[in-house]
Amino acid sequence: MTVLEAARRLNAEVIVEGDAVTHPIRHVVASDLMSDVLLVDDEDILLLTSLASDQVLRTAHIIGAVGVIVVNGKSLPTSMVQVARDLGITLIKSDKTKYGACIAIHEALERV
Amino acid sequence: MSDLPKNYISEPGLNGEGVEQPAEPLVLIEMIQRLKVRDVMTSKLVTVVRASPLREVQSLMKAKRISGVPVEEGGRFLGLVTINDILRALEGGYIDETCQKHMSTKLVVLEDDMPLSFALRYFENYHYGRFPVINREQKLVGIICQRDINRALLLELANELNRLESEWVLSKATAQPYNLYVLREFPVSKYDFENAGKAANKIKQILQEKKFPPKVIRRIAVAAYELEINLCVHSDGGSLSWQISNGRAEIIATDSGPGIVDLEWACKDGNSTANEWIRSFGFGAGMGLVNVKRVADEFEIESTVNVGTRVKAVIYIDEKQKDES
Repeated sequence: MTVLEAARRLNAEVIVEGDAVTHPIRHVVASDLMSDVLLVDDEDILLLTSLASDQVLRTAHIIGAVGVIVVNGKSLPTSMVQVARDLGITLIKSDKTKYGACIAIHEALERV
Repeated sequence: MSDLPKNYISEPGLNGEGVEQPAEPLVLIEMIQRLKVRDVMTSKLVTVVRASPLREVQSLMKAKRISGVPVEEGGRFLGLVTINDILRALEGGYIDETCQKHMSTKLVVLEDDMPLSFALRYFENYHYGRFPVINREQKLVGIICQRDINRALLLELANELNRLESEWVLSKATAQPYNLYVLREFPVSKYDFENAGKAANKIKQILQEKKFPPKVIRRIAVAAYELEINLCVHSDGGSLSWQISNGRAEIIATDSGPGIVDLEWACKDGNSTANEWIRSFGFGAGMGLVNVKRVADEFEIESTVNVGTRVKAVIYIDEKQKDES
């Protein structure tokens, strides 16, 4: 499943289409603590978070994430959109809760 | 604040788009962060007092070839007379009246220890030709216009090009696999979450362009990012530098305080002095130094309270380095 397919599954809005839209998601991390996200060693990560800040994207870039989904319908600062474009990270906004989004993505990954 | 004119603003406009720094080369971003307003401003000020007639200001502008004159009394900055004020006075026939009545008091000022990037953002957001500069004691210490910035940046760019040219010659002479030029320190300001992480993101992009092994890039990027965030969160300001030579990447974070009281405690999982505000950005879980140690092949930290901290992380790109160590 790609990050765009994950967005469709969540009925989420794709704000920025990044460089890795065709990469399959191999791992999902759900966290608001970027310190924890930086500890993950897996590749092709989809990052789910309810934190709407530039640092989420900078962290996602460092760990080579295929995309970021900001949950809980958080409004995204304009700077975040610009950083996503500059770093080529797919940025998605979902109205689902983090827990709800995790379940939906887990179910979708199980079917793949 | 009482020393300042009414409507004094010291923060950049929140709604402004600002300077699109991420699209600029790292050298330029570094430059506008490193240079302070005080390095660029004109500090030899021509000032008048409130009782000065506007005609005197007009003569000063003509003689000194300037377009704005601050009104100051006993170190107190009271207002600014601009060339537009003079034009209006000439048109309105009150050029012989005093500055007090006609000076601009709705002023936006810069502080002398702000990075030049703030000044650029002010020029973009407010569309003024110049900004008075105050110090921490709120005394007028200078004035900055776009011409000052152009001059300073051109000088710095020339110096930077000379440095890069000499390094390029050096790196050609000692060509080895995974040898890159040394990048000068990237300044990191305290609590500047807008810019924190940019250096690490850029380092990663450069290493990807140079086709370094992905796993090595990840480790270097994580170490650089953690150290950069640490500087932003915990230090009074510092710098991040990196270099790649002889099959090893060195990332060094240096700051000028406040220093770490208990190094052993700071390097343990989950120990942090970060406050809730820092945690709201997703950091401050006490994992930064732990994570740097985890990804690094060599790790050194030294710190003196009230002096500063220096952290060095080395990552081997060439596996032979591991065998030799």
